[in-house]
Amino acid sequence: MKHGAIAILPLAAGAAVYGFAFGLLAAQVGFPWWGVALMSSIVHAGSSQIVAVEQFAGTSAVVGAAFAGAALNLRYIGIVASLSDILSGLSLRMKLLAIHITGDENWALTMAERAKNPAVGASFLIGSGLVMISVWTVSTTLGAVAGSTLPNLEQFGLGFAFTAAFIAMARGLWRGPANLVPWIISFAVTIGVVTLGAPKAYAIVAGAICGLAVSHLVRSKKKVVL
Amino acid sequence: MTFPFWMLIVVLAVAAFTVRVLGLFAGDAIKSSRLAWMLDDLPGLIVVSLVASSLAGQSIETWIAAAAALAVAYVTNHVILTMCIGVVAYGGLVWFGF
Repeated sequence: MKHGAIAILPLAAGAAVYGFAFGLLAAQVGFPWWGVALMSSIVHAGSSQIVAVEQFAGTSAVVGAAFAGAALNLRYIGIVASLSDILSGLSLRMKLLAIHITGDENWALTMAERAKNPAVGASFLIGSGLVMISVWTVSTTLGAVAGSTLPNLEQFGLGFAFTAAFIAMARGLWRGPANLVPWIISFAVTIGVVTLGAPKAYAIVAGAICGLAVSHLVRSKKKVVL
Repeated sequence: MTFPFWMLIVVLAVAAFTVRVLGLFAGDAIKSSRLAWMLDDLPGLIVVSLVASSLAGQSIETWIAAAAALAVAYVTNHVILTMCIGVVAYGGLVWFGF
């Protein structure tokens, strides 16, 4: 467990910066520091929290914000499924703890270390996960404390910081040219629906659904060609 | 903290944990189903839609800063660096009244 806790520290430092920025945003939206601490500890999904709070800031619509945040988290179905060998010897309670504290960083590190050394397993995952959730909760809380004492940061470009974060997330999710057409359609439909005056939450759903439909067509066409 | 704030935290926590539990008990079945491609595609499409919704109706400065952030993201694939350079680009464009 100690091995994982130490190995994750460089990645935890990066997450702390990101977490502090999220705390600032959440405080500006109106979350108290303890609300941010509560959210970070029981949700523990950085990009989902950022997306949900950013959407909530614009509309205060819980359903749309939660949908956007939760949809971004779907990748965890695959991430957790890939841990089945690592978690196999644990009790159900420990499995539930392990999957809650699993994030992108400690999952990727555990898998990479396990590829080099098959002895790396659940204790490494749990040790690194405990550090990550602790760092995430503390850094977001500190950001919220700082954010509640500062003036409106929107004028200094804080809102744009999260547009930039979404752009960076998209880069991380890019899987190659097959994404291009669905992403263009998704982008264009969302812009169109917002321009028509619909709430952003609906525009995002419409954009994603149209992108999925086009992605399905592209995949079907590929199969026919093959 | 008012009711909508509590609701957002609770709904998000339930959704996040449900997805993880789904991965624990049904991940392999879902990954081998006919709908598995949606798991791969949906996160990217949601994020692209989020970018679009953030940019819709915004000023030319915002679009230029977004292009700068995209260039940085493309080259570095680094979230924090993209955020920093994006904000500096946006702030610079607004400050100098592009």
